[in-house]
Amino acid sequence: MRVILTAGPRKNPFIPVEAETIVPARFLQGVDGITVAAGNRILPLTDVFLVEVEGTAADPSGVEVVLRGDNSRLKRIGEYMEAGKIRVEGNIGMHCGNFMKGGEIEILGGADGWLGREMRGGRILCHGNASHYCGSGYRGEKHGMRGGYLEVRGNAGDFAAEYLAGGEVVIRGDCGDMPGVEMKGGTLTIHGSCTRPCGNMTGGTCTVLGSARGMLPTFRRTGTVVHEPGGVILTRFEGDVANRGKGTLLAREWQYTL
Amino acid sequence: MTELLVKNAFVIDPLNGIRGEVMDIAVRDGWIVESVGDGAEVIDAAGCLTLPGGIDSHTHICGTKVNFGRYMMPEDMRAGRTQRRGVMHSTSGYSVPTTYGNSYRYCAMGYTSVLEGAMAPLEARHTHEEFAATPLQDTMANTLFDGNWPVMEAVRDGDVKRAAAIVAWTLAAVKGFAIKLTNPGGSECWGWGKNVHCIREMVPYFGVSPAEIIQTLIRANEMLRLPHSVHLHCNNLGVPGNYTCTIGSMDLAPDLNPDRQSLYLTHVQFHAYGGTSWKDICSKAEPVAYTVNRKPQITIDMGQMMFGKTTTMTADGPMEFNLYRLHHNKWSNHDVELETTSGIIPVYYSRTSVVNCVMWAIGLELALLVKNPWQCLLATDNPNGGPFIKYPEIIALLMSRRYREEELKTLAPGTHSRITLPSLDRELDWHDIAVMTRAGQARALGIRSIGKGHLAPGAEADIAIYPIRVDKTDPSRQYREVIQAFQKTAWTVKRGRPVARDGEILVPGVNKTIWARAKVREELDMGRDPEFARNFDRYYTVRMSNYPVQDVYLQRSLCMESEAQL
Amino acid sequence: MIVRDVICPFCACLCDDLDVHVEDGRVTGVDNACDLGSHKFMTDHRMKGPVRRTASGWEEIPLEEAIRETAELLEAAERPLLYGWSGTCGEAQSAGVHLAELVGGVIDATTSVCHGPSILAIQEVGHPGCTLGQVKNRADVVVYWGCNPQHAHPRHLSRYTTYADGFFVRNAFKERKVIVADIRGTDSTNLADEFIRLQPGGDYAVLGALRAIVRGKGDVVPPEVAGVSREQLYRIADLCKTAKYGAFFFGMGLTQTAGKYKNIRNAIELVDELSRHTKWTLTPMRGHFNVYGFNEVCTWMTGYPYAVDFARGMAFYNPGETTAVDILARKECDMCLVVASDPAAHFPAEAVEHLASIPVVQLDPFPNLTTAFARIQIPVAVSGIDADGTAYRMDGVPLRLHRVLDRGYPDDAGILLEITRRITGGGSR
Repeated sequence: MRVILTAGPRKNPFIPVEAETIVPARFLQGVDGITVAAGNRILPLTDVFLVEVEGTAADPSGVEVVLRGDNSRLKRIGEYMEAGKIRVEGNIGMHCGNFMKGGEIEILGGADGWLGREMRGGRILCHGNASHYCGSGYRGEKHGMRGGYLEVRGNAGDFAAEYLAGGEVVIRGDCGDMPGVEMKGGTLTIHGSCTRPCGNMTGGTCTVLGSARGMLPTFRRTGTVVHEPGGVILTRFEGDVANRGKGTLLAREWQYTL
Repeated sequence: MTELLVKNAFVIDPLNGIRGEVMDIAVRDGWIVESVGDGAEVIDAAGCLTLPGGIDSHTHICGTKVNFGRYMMPEDMRAGRTQRRGVMHSTSGYSVPTTYGNSYRYCAMGYTSVLEGAMAPLEARHTHEEFAATPLQDTMANTLFDGNWPVMEAVRDGDVKRAAAIVAWTLAAVKGFAIKLTNPGGSECWGWGKNVHCIREMVPYFGVSPAEIIQTLIRANEMLRLPHSVHLHCNNLGVPGNYTCTIGSMDLAPDLNPDRQSLYLTHVQFHAYGGTSWKDICSKAEPVAYTVNRKPQITIDMGQMMFGKTTTMTADGPMEFNLYRLHHNKWSNHDVELETTSGIIPVYYSRTSVVNCVMWAIGLELALLVKNPWQCLLATDNPNGGPFIKYPEIIALLMSRRYREEELKTLAPGTHSRITLPSLDRELDWHDIAVMTRAGQARALGIRSIGKGHLAPGAEADIAIYPIRVDKTDPSRQYREVIQAFQKTAWTVKRGRPVARDGEILVPGVNKTIWARAKVREELDMGRDPEFARNFDRYYTVRMSNYPVQDVYLQRSLCMESEAQL
Repeated sequence: MIVRDVICPFCACLCDDLDVHVEDGRVTGVDNACDLGSHKFMTDHRMKGPVRRTASGWEEIPLEEAIRETAELLEAAERPLLYGWSGTCGEAQSAGVHLAELVGGVIDATTSVCHGPSILAIQEVGHPGCTLGQVKNRADVVVYWGCNPQHAHPRHLSRYTTYADGFFVRNAFKERKVIVADIRGTDSTNLADEFIRLQPGGDYAVLGALRAIVRGKGDVVPPEVAGVSREQLYRIADLCKTAKYGAFFFGMGLTQTAGKYKNIRNAIELVDELSRHTKWTLTPMRGHFNVYGFNEVCTWMTGYPYAVDFARGMAFYNPGETTAVDILARKECDMCLVVASDPAAHFPAEAVEHLASIPVVQLDPFPNLTTAFARIQIPVAVSGIDADGTAYRMDGVPLRLHRVLDRGYPDDAGILLEITRRITGGGSR
């Protein structure tokens, strides 16, 4: 079953639309009754999207939802999703795939903040850039992402993988400030560069294959490792000792200055 | 004139000796009367257990510390959100709900009066602001005197009259209800990062012991003829082996008042631990309950702990810091100049933890081992032992041995040898529960005289009507039904008006605050005492004239006045 | 007439010992206040009455009409923003939160551009705090980090720290050590026994290094951290550990520089670490006199201290998403009610640009930069001068503001309740 949602023109395209209802499983019961919230108004899904349904499916894993048009203000799609696939043919708004447990989300464009927030399982692939707090947690919560695989082909903003507790985050480009801050488990791999990685980390492994500037003064250097593939030599740190930390930070280049 | 008739109610009203009778309750203008006219609104309570409105004699729902619990925990706030609906505001929060959340959830459970367990006098205005936003209950505030400098100086000087006079001035100034001592003396020590560990240790500089503070204020309290007794949170909360300290504190209380206890000890579960460390902690509910059984001058509340997520918040600052070092979770602390302190940390009570399992058992043991239900009231020290929405489960546990056995099976291995609960057969009955959740509270708090906690003509018409047939329910077996019934009333009536129906709130409501003023002779009026005023303006950072809480903060105010005997 | 013990409605020190001289309905003199507070009492150029912008300029309109039009704008909006709140009393803030809930709007305070990061940090690790009298009576070491109290909170030092003698500290100036951390010398750093001069953006690293040293792991710390020598860091750590009572104050030099809330978190965790050795507390130097009051009111009503989105009929909180600057910069809101603040003066250009494109209603006693963007402005009484109400000091102590004179203006709370009544049609709420 393939559900194609094409965003139509809106009178005020800047007002965010919350659409936690857009998860593959929901479409097994048809399109009727599905609503979204545009600002403080509740609207039928069909007021916001042109909806086309092709074929049928027996269970959520057989459902693919395709989003077209401008969805840069569309929030919370794929929330708690357990199976099936969402494919976004463009940019997507905040909190895409939050609490996701299974299935797959592919974003051909970029993603706004909190991509894969508190993710538990499944896969997210973002071909463009992701904004701040990609793969992170919620305010005040002790655990961020706990499982699953999140990959960003472009760059990520600040605080990527904050409170990472499990699963794998891969950023092919650069990260902003403080990736992996407070991380306690899982793995974070940054193919590009970043500033001030892993402040206060207590566990998990972060690898920076570019350069880490503003390296924090509270990590203990414990030798080098050879990173495969490519045989790149990385400096190995343990920390954050400011916080009884036992995390591992590996960096190809690093410097204390910003 | 508005009239209401609750018909065919199955009534248990312990303060009036009614142990279960089918009767009608007539209400006029908020008060229970002998009869009403034909035009009265009628609630048919046939088949429903009908009790006086519930009273919580120790809960944390309003004020600086409670609000800081919300402030620092957006994760708890998002765990309990409801939408704006009808007259109901939106609510947030699971263990520390917003004021509306507390009010609606208590109301749905039939609770109509609550006592905030700890108010720092300097921050009283805050508590009263939140009371005003707790629209469906009458509220009272325990007022903290545990580290009060002028009081400690009077205690040191052996001047019980001056201590009483300071209490009288402060209670009237901040519109407080009763004297609360939280870890007496310990809060002053915590100003230096230290603590006292039992009642005979000395507080640095002030040269007084917790025992002296407790004894002096018990006497001062009775000299002031305050409605409630001294309300004590003992020293050494949550420390293995602390039961001796608790029993020692009980032994300090003389029997001074024929109408109620002379000392109320709160959340005693946290104070009935044996052992020497977390490794060998065990229950000492037996010796503690035995002490209560032979001292009619003592009333306690359970401080029951229930498994799951909650937040601990108390004026016991040093204890919270120790908990923080144990849990490494977030920790807040707030010391209040010349008065007291407080601390907050979130916790998770787990069935896989032997310590938590022992705690769970102790609360229940206390309630089952104290012979007289009037001396052991039902509470969790909300939210410290668990949020108050768990009360129905506690009621069911007390009424059903079978339910306890089911639960005992789920506890961590190694628990059974440290507790006595498995050997306790006692099952409380409906009357016991009515005592432990309203009548006992009204007596202990001294508010029967203003019409609280009973249903005879002259009482305020606060009525909880629960959808359960007492004659057709065996609580021992049907504990699930008991839980369900106590979770949601069919009707809650407050001040003569139906305010909730099947858990839905029907009216916006207006809070009433009950406070105490003891009238003292002019020469003992601290407002005119030059030394008191001089030290006030010197050591506080607010002027004495800006300290008292103005009348405008109390939407409805009920002042319980007494003539002090100083 | 002299009104005694008046509470100053300027900064969050809420000094409550002012004597205000009033003659003929005007303030003629203020004793005990700092220049900032005094100036606020003496300022006199208020707007006369409500005004509405027309094609040709401002027109005066009756209050009734201003309220009606505001209510209509709020009701029509799909994403209204209700912003400001720090310069008014708790009663108005409470009415504002109810109004936001009623119209499904977003309510946010100036907190989000000052100490919002402090709150985010507290939400991660908590807050070991105290009332200011604890500091006055006990502290022998005081830290000011990223703030200049001499300028922003002029009486903070004389009432609570450097010059404030207390019960256990009889001669504060002699017995109390002061540590100041800043990126440049200021009037406050001149008072310091230890001046930590750090490079811009270096706060997080320096605080982390101090934590490591206090934990006995100083060996990992390089010889210099963000311009501060390891020797000085050891000296500071030692001073802090051997204090009898330490008090840590911080300002926007810490909250609004790189890393923002993570800086504060590091400061809090330093204080937590020091609490294992001796007594330490921490207090944010809140700015506006009742900015903390908004956080308190909003928290007991909604569960969250600021940045609350009611679009879905229940409270949602996520600073960075539901904060005023972000909502404006993303052009989300279609109407804005500004109460007791001046966003046009403090917000980034992109946010202000959006303000210019939507209907704005402002409740404020004075014309300010935001007036230039307003469709309607309703002048109100000044809280703490001609209106009373509740305010919360930076340490959480609630005080009742005085009304020292009557100028005939309505107060914020009254107008907000009237707007609410219009929308509910006078219902029981």
